[in-house]
Amino acid sequence: MHPILASPGRLAAYIAIWLPLGILLAALLALQGVFGWTRAAVVAVPLSISYGFLCLSAWYVTGGSPVERVGAARVAIAAIGSSLLSAAVWLLIARGWLALIGGLAQWPDINASFRAAAPTLFGFGFLLYLLAMAVSYLAAAFAVSRGAERRGLELQVLAREAELRALRAQIDPHFLFNSLQSISALTTVDSAAARRMCLLLADFLRETLALGARARIPLSAELALVRKFLSIEQVRFGPRLQVEIDPGEASDVPVPPLLLQPLAENAVTHGIAHLLDGGVVRIRAERRTASLAVTVDNPVDADRPAGRGTGLGLRNVRERLASAYGADAFAHAEEHDGTYTVRVELPL
Amino acid sequence: MSDKLRIVIVDDEPLARAVLREYAAADPEIEIVADCANGFEAVKAVADFAPDLVLLDVQMPKLDGFEVLELLGKDQAVVFVTAYDQYALRAFEVHAIDYLLKPFSVERFQEAVERARERIRAKTAIPVDEILRDAKPRTGHAERVLIRDGANVHVLPVDKIDYVEAQDDYVAFKSEGKQYLKDQTLSAVEEALDPARFVRIHRSFILNIDRIAKVELYAKDSRMAILRDGTRLPVSRAGYARLSQLL
Repeated sequence: MHPILASPGRLAAYIAIWLPLGILLAALLALQGVFGWTRAAVVAVPLSISYGFLCLSAWYVTGGSPVERVGAARVAIAAIGSSLLSAAVWLLIARGWLALIGGLAQWPDINASFRAAAPTLFGFGFLLYLLAMAVSYLAAAFAVSRGAERRGLELQVLAREAELRALRAQIDPHFLFNSLQSISALTTVDSAAARRMCLLLADFLRETLALGARARIPLSAELALVRKFLSIEQVRFGPRLQVEIDPGEASDVPVPPLLLQPLAENAVTHGIAHLLDGGVVRIRAERRTASLAVTVDNPVDADRPAGRGTGLGLRNVRERLASAYGADAFAHAEEHDGTYTVRVELPL
Repeated sequence: MSDKLRIVIVDDEPLARAVLREYAAADPEIEIVADCANGFEAVKAVADFAPDLVLLDVQMPKLDGFEVLELLGKDQAVVFVTAYDQYALRAFEVHAIDYLLKPFSVERFQEAVERARERIRAKTAIPVDEILRDAKPRTGHAERVLIRDGANVHVLPVDKIDYVEAQDDYVAFKSEGKQYLKDQTLSAVEEALDPARFVRIHRSFILNIDRIAKVELYAKDSRMAILRDGTRLPVSRAGYARLSQLL
C-alpha cells in the first residue's frame, strides 16, 4: 500500500500541497500571456491536482528503496525516463481537459492555446515528477534509518531483558531451598530468628530484583546485598561461615549490579561448604587512581574432588564485565596455599 | 533391649539436624543414638552404635552422603535427605530409594521412617553400586579411594596407591608399605581407576605404572614386575600385552 493512500489525513495534506502548485502554474501561464488569469486558474488548478495523483506513481518507480541500494545510474535513468513519460501523459490529460472546458464553458478558442501552453506544462510536469521521485527516495531512506534505529532499540531492550533473566536465574535454587529449610527449622527452635530470616530473605530477593534492573549501582549497595546474602547463609552454616567486608574508600564507585554476589555465592558453596571447620569469606575493595579493585577470597579444601568447579559463576562475572567495560575490566581467579582468590578490576 | 528404632542423624548444618531431632523426638518409638556433623563422624557413629537407620544428608564437606553410603555398605538402612540435586533425585527414583526433600513436614518424615522400618524388617539391601553410578555424573576417573577401617575413614589419593591386590572377598590397596582392605571387586576398582595410570597385570593385581622398575622374564610366558621398592608381582600374558601397550 502506498504510504500516502494509506491514510485519508495524509492524502488530504498531499492534495493541499498541489493546490498552491496549481496556482503557481496558473500564474506562469497567465504571465506568459497564454491565458487570461481566470482561464489560467480554471485550467491549471484541476490539472495540477490530477498530476498530484499521477506523481504518486513515483513511489512505485523508486520501489520504496533508498538510492544506495539501487545504484545512481539506474536511479538517474529511471527518474528521467519516468518523468518524461508522466509529463507526456499529463500533456494528453491537459489536452483532454482543455477540450472539455472549451465545450462546457463556451470557450471554443481555448483549444487553440494548447500549443502555446504545452512547453510550460511539459517542463512543469517533468520537474515536479523528478521532485516527487526525490521525495520518495528521501522518504524511503528515512524509513530505513528509522527502522534501523528502532531495531537497535529493540535489540538493546532484548539484551537488557536477557541480562535480567540471567540475573534472576543466578539465584541458585539450592540457596532458596536451603533458606526455607533453615526457616522451617527455626520456627520451633527460635521463632524470632525465623522471622528475622524471612525478612532477610525477602529483603535480599526484593533488592536483587530492584538493583538488577539498574545499569549501575554504588559499590556500597552491592556490598550491602552481598552482606545480606552471606547473613542468610550464616544462619545455615552457623559459626562455620565468617564474613569480613571492607569497602575501602570505594563505597560510591558505580558497579554493575550483582557483579560480586555470584563470587560470594561461589565462596560459600565451593569453599566454606566443603570444609569441616569452615572459614572466613573476605571481600576487600580498593580505589586506585583510575580503577576499582575488589578481591573475594575464601579457604578451599585442597583435595576436594575435581569437577566441582566454580566455572559458571566466574564465567558469568567475566561476561558481565566484558559487556559493561569491554577490555578495560577483568576477573582473575587463583588458588594458592588453600586460599581461593578472585580479583576483579574495573575502570572508574 | 527395647524395640525402638535407633537412628543416627548426619547433616553438616546445625539447623537441619535440629529439625530431624525435633521430628524424631515426636515419635516415642525412635531413639537418636548419635548426631553427626560430617561423614567421618557418621562412619564412626555407625561403627560404635550399629544403628537401625541413618538419616543422611547428601551435600556435606569432605565426604558427601554417597561416599558415606559407599563406606557403610549395602546392609545399612539409610534415608537420604537433600535440598535439591537433580542427579541424586533421579538415582533415588530409579532405585526406589526413599528420600526427604528439604524442607519437609513431620508427616513426610514419619512416612519415610515407617517405610524404612518395613525395609529393615524385610532386610532389603540397598543397591549401593547402582546408586553411586547413577547419582554422580562421572566427570573422570577416581582421584581418591575411600576405605573404612572400623570407625575410621582413610582417604587415599590414587597416586599414593602402589598396587591393588584381590584377596578373597576383598581388595587390598597397598600404599607406602601399608595395606587397606575394602569390600569391593578388583574389576570395580579397575573400572574406577584411570587406565592410563593403572593397569591390570594379572587376574589378582592392578599396578600403578609409575611404580615399575623393570619387568623380567623368569619362565616361558611368565614374567615378574619388579617395583621400585623391590616388590615382585606376577604378570600374566594378557597383562604383559596391556602393560607393553601402555609403556
